[in-house]
Amino acid sequence: MDCTLFLLGLNHRTAGVDVRERFSLANHCDQEHWALPCTGAIHEAMILSTCNRVELLATGVGNGREQMLQYWANAAVADISELTPYIYIHENLEAVRHLFTVASSLDSMVLGEPQILGQLKTAYRKAVECKATGVILNRLLHMAFSAAKRVRNETAVASNAVSISYAAVELAKRIFGDMRTQKVLLVGAGEMAELAATHLLQTGVSEIFVTNRTYARGQALAEQFRGRAFPFDQLAGCLTDVDIVITSTGSEEPLLNARAIKSVLKTRKNRPMFFIDIAVPRDIDPDVNNLDNVYLYDIDDLKEIVEENMASRRDEAAKAALIVDEEVASFARWLSNLDVQPTIVDLIKRNERIARNELAKTLKRLGQVDDKERMALEAMVNALMRKLNHDPIMFLKRGGMSQEDSARRVGILRRIYNLDNAPDNGEESNALLYD
Amino acid sequence: MISPEFSTLVTLVFYALASIVGIAGMLAHSAFWRRMGCRLALAGFACQTLMLVLGFHKTLPGGLSLGAYLQLLAWFLLLCGLLVWWRLHQEPLLLFSAPWGLILFTMSAPYLENLVNVPPSLHTPFYALHIGALFLSLALLVLAFVAGVLFLFLEGRIKKKRRMALFWQDMPAISILDKINAFATLMAFPLYTLGIVAGLLWAKPVFGNTITGDPKEVISLIIWLIFAALFHNRLLRGWRGRKAAHLTVLIFILCLFSIFVVNTIMDTHHAFIRL
Repeated sequence: MDCTLFLLGLNHRTAGVDVRERFSLANHCDQEHWALPCTGAIHEAMILSTCNRVELLATGVGNGREQMLQYWANAAVADISELTPYIYIHENLEAVRHLFTVASSLDSMVLGEPQILGQLKTAYRKAVECKATGVILNRLLHMAFSAAKRVRNETAVASNAVSISYAAVELAKRIFGDMRTQKVLLVGAGEMAELAATHLLQTGVSEIFVTNRTYARGQALAEQFRGRAFPFDQLAGCLTDVDIVITSTGSEEPLLNARAIKSVLKTRKNRPMFFIDIAVPRDIDPDVNNLDNVYLYDIDDLKEIVEENMASRRDEAAKAALIVDEEVASFARWLSNLDVQPTIVDLIKRNERIARNELAKTLKRLGQVDDKERMALEAMVNALMRKLNHDPIMFLKRGGMSQEDSARRVGILRRIYNLDNAPDNGEESNALLYD
Repeated sequence: MISPEFSTLVTLVFYALASIVGIAGMLAHSAFWRRMGCRLALAGFACQTLMLVLGFHKTLPGGLSLGAYLQLLAWFLLLCGLLVWWRLHQEPLLLFSAPWGLILFTMSAPYLENLVNVPPSLHTPFYALHIGALFLSLALLVLAFVAGVLFLFLEGRIKKKRRMALFWQDMPAISILDKINAFATLMAFPLYTLGIVAGLLWAKPVFGNTITGDPKEVISLIIWLIFAALFHNRLLRGWRGRKAAHLTVLIFILCLFSIFVVNTIMDTHHAFIRL
């Protein structure tokens, strides 16, 4: 492969947030401010710039890599020497592996988080709009998306919540199943409680109630969630109707104890209740968890779940790495086939030329030939050509070859058919038939 | 070609494959294999339904044998599992009912010729009602038992704040399991009552007395009392979850005791279904 695939980048591991901010190319990804012009040594290019990483991906020849680095430094109004300590450079299949790893969220700060794939898709779309991508990057990015999809479907790297609020939502689903009939009560208005309520709302819960010591604040929050606000002293009354309670008040004493909940349970005919106590000190007496049909999780319980889930994601990452390996190998095969494509075109052109010449000679010798006979002859010549081309093309395209092996086969075929000295008569080839 | 033996074998193979593929799918946390397991169970069920439609069980002289009775129980369990899969989109119960189908089918093989010898004098509508109602109630109890046991395991994990990953993650929510348990027990109790009342009424002309003191009668009445307590508390006192699940498990174990122990080792006039 004459053309090389480069990947230059920095991420949350190699650079601190100030460096990432400084060398961010977020404003250089659109058509007007495109930072990587595809001229000369750079053939195709793409920029991925998120808050945790900046990655420049390109194909090119010669000093394309140095040019990319220069463009990047220029875009960030900095000197190359300021940039180089923080970056990593990958070439060819290593670049492919890195891209697939990033797309599969195996290189993310939160392992398995889904945003990166969306960001990569946006970055690719912008590069396409800038007409900066070509055959190789188009194929590479599509394969990166499919690798990410495989990792997501075949491993548990993205399953199990790794944030407190999601962990709470997952637990609610384990308890209630259908969330559309559940009602949620927010007691107090902490940031994490709001986040949990937002996630619960996304699962389609039927209604959200809010109660807060400061009624106005509660009302504002209720409006935000299109719910209803209640005065704080009506807390006990609300409990009969709601199924999920999220507490996050600054109260020094527990607001709810087992005795209070027991009487609530009686009036609600033991329908299950799920309490999420995010407050420190805790708002709900831990004894509540001993009651039947009541489930209480405090902040430490949720944290523990998140940590265990994180550890299991790390275990799954090893499985995901194998999938990435397979996909890299698949891309390498495609790339080696790409190398043989010009030879296939040359071969077809050569054989076509010979066949046309021979057909013309035969027709001349036959003299008067009607259209039907001429078409029959042409069809025979075409069929013959296709059949004769088949084996040499298969010889080049055989799967599982290394790049060296592929190059050797190209050399052999070119010598056998004398393709490097064959005159090109410029006739249109039907090479596409053999793709 | 479609002989009773051949279709029995095909059904058995489908249930065996469904059990292996489905349970493996659950253990390996693979949605594909779980779905495959459900489809295989459906294929086995379709095959068995075809057998019933073609009336293969009637080919045996004298009507239902104990083997056919066990096969019918397998069919009903699979039907329950399929209904839960279809209506509630929950795969595990169907995948758990496939091994039950397999076990009952395998158990049925030696008893297909083991005919229920009922004297002609007993051929009354009460006999059909007695057997039919108790059979349906037992099948519903199996469903309630599976849902109850799963509930107890899952609820225990949630209470003890243990992680629910992989295998546990694919299980239904505990509220759904409780609903299945409630539905099955609330349906099963009236049927059980009907079966017992029919049996008592049937006993009068046959054995001369409504209450004969037969061990099977005694254990059935004990089960009925516990069952009645569960029914009453579920319906009127809002019992849910753990308590109800525990009681279901107890009732089911007593039923197994009644079928497999009382019939085998005690002197009872129900012993015509002796194993």
